[in-house]
Parts: sequence; structure tokens; C-alpha cells
Amino acid sequence: MDDLKLLRDFGRRLEHEPPATLVRQRERLLGAVEGRPRRRWFGWMAAGLVAVATVATVAAVAVPALLLGDLRRTAQHPVGARPAKVTEALNVLLVGTDKGSAPRMADDKGRTDSIILLHLPADRKRTTAVSIPRDSLVQLPACGSAPARTDLINSAYNRGGLTCTVKAVESLTDVRIDHMAEVDFAGFGRLVDALGGIEVTLKRAVDDPKAKLTLPAGKSLLDGERAVGYMRLRSVGDGSDIARIKRQQTVIRAMAKKAGQVLDEPAKLKTLASVVADSVTTDTELDVERMIGIAMSLHDSTVKLVTVPWIPHPEDRNRIAWKQPEAEKLFASLR
Amino acid sequence: MITQPATRDADAELISASLTEPEAFAELFDRYSGMLYRYVSRRLGPGGPAEDLVGETFLVAFSRRGSYDLAHADARPWLFGILTKLVSRHHRTEAARYRALRRAPVEPDVESPADRVAAGVTAQAAGPGLASALAALPAKDRDVLLLIAWGDLTYEEAARALGVPIGTVRSRLNRGRRKVRAALGDTNPMLGEE
Repeated sequence: MDDLKLLRDFGRRLEHEPPATLVRQRERLLGAVEGRPRRRWFGWMAAGLVAVATVATVAAVAVPALLLGDLRRTAQHPVGARPAKVTEALNVLLVGTDKGSAPRMADDKGRTDSIILLHLPADRKRTTAVSIPRDSLVQLPACGSAPARTDLINSAYNRGGLTCTVKAVESLTDVRIDHMAEVDFAGFGRLVDALGGIEVTLKRAVDDPKAKLTLPAGKSLLDGERAVGYMRLRSVGDGSDIARIKRQQTVIRAMAKKAGQVLDEPAKLKTLASVVADSVTTDTELDVERMIGIAMSLHDSTVKLVTVPWIPHPEDRNRIAWKQPEAEKLFASLR
Repeated sequence: MITQPATRDADAELISASLTEPEAFAELFDRYSGMLYRYVSRRLGPGGPAEDLVGETFLVAFSRRGSYDLAHADARPWLFGILTKLVSRHHRTEAARYRALRRAPVEPDVESPADRVAAGVTAQAAGPGLASALAALPAKDRDVLLLIAWGDLTYEEAARALGVPIGTVRSRLNRGRRKVRAALGDTNPMLGEE
């Protein structure tokens, strides 16, 4: 082996991949180009994805969604009294809806099928993703035209969209939501397809004529449609919302894993970026610094997936009540 | 590493376009910021001034785009030349890095394919020797050696990057390689003459 070859090998071992924050340098260049600071998004999408997808966590999927949601930054924050922001912790509400998944009445806005509260503590060392069961029967605050009432938490979306969902979660948990992102089933399926499908391992075969889904025991590669079908199964396991949440978490973990692999395939990465931009809606206040901050924090963070502590609702066994004081303890840790 | 699509405008065309539409210059950043960052991360380590230097490189390049020789389709040598000048301001950081590498072995790359791992064993043994040699080289010789070995530039491109005649590149490179071989000779008896 000659000296140049040895030197090349040595250099390769010293090399580091560009961090997501390199995009700030692009912003700097564009500032000089236009003589003023400005935002351009597409160029650093890949950078954001790189930083994020190296983390094999639920957040690896959630954050590209945030990062790339710029094209549809339309969701408004709630108005009126809100929990105070007392620490530098960051809370992001991620919502999956069933919008457009079945023929519905024209004025039906859809429901939230999954609600996940992503919490980054002030030191950003440990991220928690809290699944909020959609069958939770809770006291909803008045929001828009909808009055205060006792109802399922996922009805907040149907009556007032993402804004009222955020308001409901804030009022129930007293946790300040800093940002929000939303994707529907169709969009979620497109994300899975853009990743080239995901691999899940099943203990038992699935044959659900209602969901039109058959899967063998063992490993299966799921395309977007089947991944959504798998997440939405009701007649598997104990049929509860809690079992569904477990499947959602399985799918999200599999997506995070796949996202890591897609990085080596520029064509897929590009598709993924554009699919995310088309499929995900975020709030109006997510700015560049914020997004990079989230991505960078997650990069070095470990992520814990949990569900709000619950018990069957005393008045309706098919509904869920949050178990106290455990639930309150969990929320207190997020404030 | 991300491969470029088969068809795309030459860098020179982008630079030419950016004279009337400055925004076109951003495409150059998208093409080469990763490459330049990787290069500077080898010389100065990640973190530290690495990101900033990549940004400055493009700012300098943008301000000088009017004097770019459009006969050169490939802008890499030009960008490497600017970056090399900026890196030289951080020669203390660079020297400290090589000195540290002289003592501490570089962690093996866990994602290497098996064949590269096998090759890496020799390279790893050579690490401390290489680090010493790089630490001891005069800056000008090191710039040439690393543009060619780590920046993948040809002799002509390195000459263009540094604004020196190609003969100068050859002599600096030879001098640099001689010292590297001498340093390796102490630690690696397997290494023969070319």
C-alpha cells in the first residue's frame, strides 16, 4: 500500500458528515445574495433529514414532518388563556387524522386517530413521546363554535381542527404546546411508500376481512396502504385503543429505522422530502431556528415512548379515563 | 456520498447565470457545501470553525464570482482554493489536532464494509505516523498534499486552487510524500518503495 493510499484511508477515518446546522451557512449566503436575511427551504431539507434520521427514534419521523412542513404552515395557535411557558422545555403535538380515508359527509372534518405529545426537556437530553388514547373521555374546553363538554378527546379535532385539539390538550394537561403538526392517513401512507415500505415482525398472523388485511406471522414488508391498515386494526389483540397505540409505535419505530437507510439513496430522499412537504401541516410559528433546534436536540437525545396512564372509564367501560395521580405526575414532568 | 445526477449544468454556467440572477449561486452551495465540510472536518475536526469556514468560503466565492474564469467548468478547485486560505488561519487548531491524533488512535469506522475494514488495519497502524508527518509538514506542502489526497484534486486542479504553477505543486507534493514515507518508515516496515 503506498503512502497516498494510507493517507486517504487515514483521512476517511477523520471525516465527519455535515451537521444539519450547516443550513445556517446557506441562509448566510442567501442573505448576502439578496442583501437581506431570507428563508429558502428546499436546499436544507436533506440536511434536516440527515440529522434527524440518524436517530432511530419515533422523533426521526416526527421531525422531518416538522422540518419540511413549511409549505403548509397554516395551523393557528389557540387564543385566550393558555398554560404559561415556564421552562425552556419544548412540547410539540403530533396528530394523525382519518381525514379522507372513507367517503364522508362533505362537512365532516375527520377525527384524530392518534395524538402524540413530543416533549423535549430544557436540557434536551431525553425526549418523551406521550401517546394520548383517542378513546379518552375528557372535559373539553369551549373552542370556536363548540361549547365546553364531556366528550372523546378526538372529537376536538372534528369540531375545531388542530387548533382546538391543541387547546383541549393544553387545558387537560396544563402543558404548554409550542408547536403542532398534522398528517392524514393518505399522507402517512405516502410517507411510508416514499421510505420504500417498512418491515414489521408479527407474533401472530393477521387476517382481518373488515380491514382487508392479511399478514403472515414473522417479518413482512408493508407498503403505505398496508402500514395504515395495520395501525388501524381493531379486531386484533384485545381490540382496544391501547393495542392500537402499541401498533402505531411499532410502525413509527420501523419508519425511523427505514429513514436511516433512505439517507444513502438520494432519489428516495428527495421523494421523501417532497412527500413530507405535501402531506404535513404545521403551525405558523415554526421558524428555521426552532426547527434546527429541534432536529439538533433529537440528534443527541434518547427517546422514550409512553402512553398516558389510564383505566377503563367508570361510566363506560369502552372508554378510557386517565388514571390519577399517575397521569398528573406525568404531565407535571412535561411542564 | 451523494452522487450527482448525470445531467446538470456545469458549475461555470451556474456562476455565469448568477451574475444576472444571484440566486443561482445557492445551487453551488447545495452541490459542494457537504464536500467542503467533509474536507475541513478532516483537517480541523467537526464542530469548531468547520461550519463557519464552509459558509465563509461561499461568501468569498460569491463576492468574487465576477472574476471567475468561465473556461473552467468545474468550480471545485476554486472553492477548495478559497477554503484552503481560510483554513490556514486556523493552523494552530489543525496542528493540535494532528498532535492529538499522534497519541490517540482514530476510532475505526463501524460502518465500513468488511474489505475496507481489512484495509483499515494497516491504515490504522499507520495513523500515528501519518499524524506526526502532517503535524511536522510546512503549511504549503501540507496544503498541496491534502488537496490531492483528501480533496481528490488532480495536479492541475491543485495548481489552480492555490494559484501556483503545476511544477510547484509537483515539488511540494514530492517533498510532502517523502516526509510522510519517512515517518511511516519508522512505524511500518511493510511499506516498500513505489
